[in-house]
Amino acid sequence: MRTLHHVVITPHRVVVDEEQMTVTSSGKMMLKEIYQSNIGNYPKFYKMDMLCKLGFVASELLLQKEGNRNIGAKGVVDEENQRDDRAVILLNSSSSICDDRAYQATIDNLDDYFPSPMVFVYTLANIVTGEIALRNRYYGETNFYVLPQKDEKVMTQIVEDSFQDEHTTSAICGWLNCDDEDHFEADLYLVEK
Amino acid sequence: MELQEELKSKIIEALNLEDIQPEDIDDDAPLFGDDGFGLDSIDALELIVLLEKNYGIKISDPKTGKEIFKSINVMAEYVAANRKK
Repeated sequence: MRTLHHVVITPHRVVVDEEQMTVTSSGKMMLKEIYQSNIGNYPKFYKMDMLCKLGFVASELLLQKEGNRNIGAKGVVDEENQRDDRAVILLNSSSSICDDRAYQATIDNLDDYFPSPMVFVYTLANIVTGEIALRNRYYGETNFYVLPQKDEKVMTQIVEDSFQDEHTTSAICGWLNCDDEDHFEADLYLVEK
Repeated sequence: MELQEELKSKIIEALNLEDIQPEDIDDDAPLFGDDGFGLDSIDALELIVLLEKNYGIKISDPKTGKEIFKSINVMAEYVAANRKK
């Protein structure tokens, strides 16, 4: 397995291929800043929960480094560039807790009981793998694992296992954890077989 | 505030349409579909919640929702006629 590109995002720091990006904000606002200055043209970003925003921004920075990607008018990769040989395999320890809390807040008070459909749809950690796959028209494997804690050995094993099929040749993979708007970590890799 | 303007602000806030300003939404333009603002079925559900939360209007038949959310003007007309708060 060979690493092509690597992105690390924490609330105050963004590093792409060992080079630190200049950002002026932190936490949730920092993700918005990166979206607006480096990505754009994908209004769905604003609807995503924190875990998806983090995964989306990190994957975009990885794929910008890879280059050769044509984004169509609707903010999705052109149909002719769809692929089924790239997997999206992410792991964390807090599952979708950030959005789970937000959803709970919409149903906590019986006198103000309005469950939000938009918040509810993100109360599953693996939604972020789907968001990345949809944006890039990836039709390969997508998986999200919840571990007791970050474990590089287990993570590597899981990704290597995914390369055992005849189909998968590369993967966006790594650690994607979000406790709240000011406590998160993305440690993502673009790897190939 | 005119009901149309109030609805636009509430929709932008509820659906997190951060790229859109109230003045970008034409009162007669479709909210859904290719000519609209890229809203999907989850947004439609959120709009149903918005009507209940802000105006006490309960919509149980999705077909009714489809009619009401045609445009801001149609929505405002329905709200004005059926609001309970």
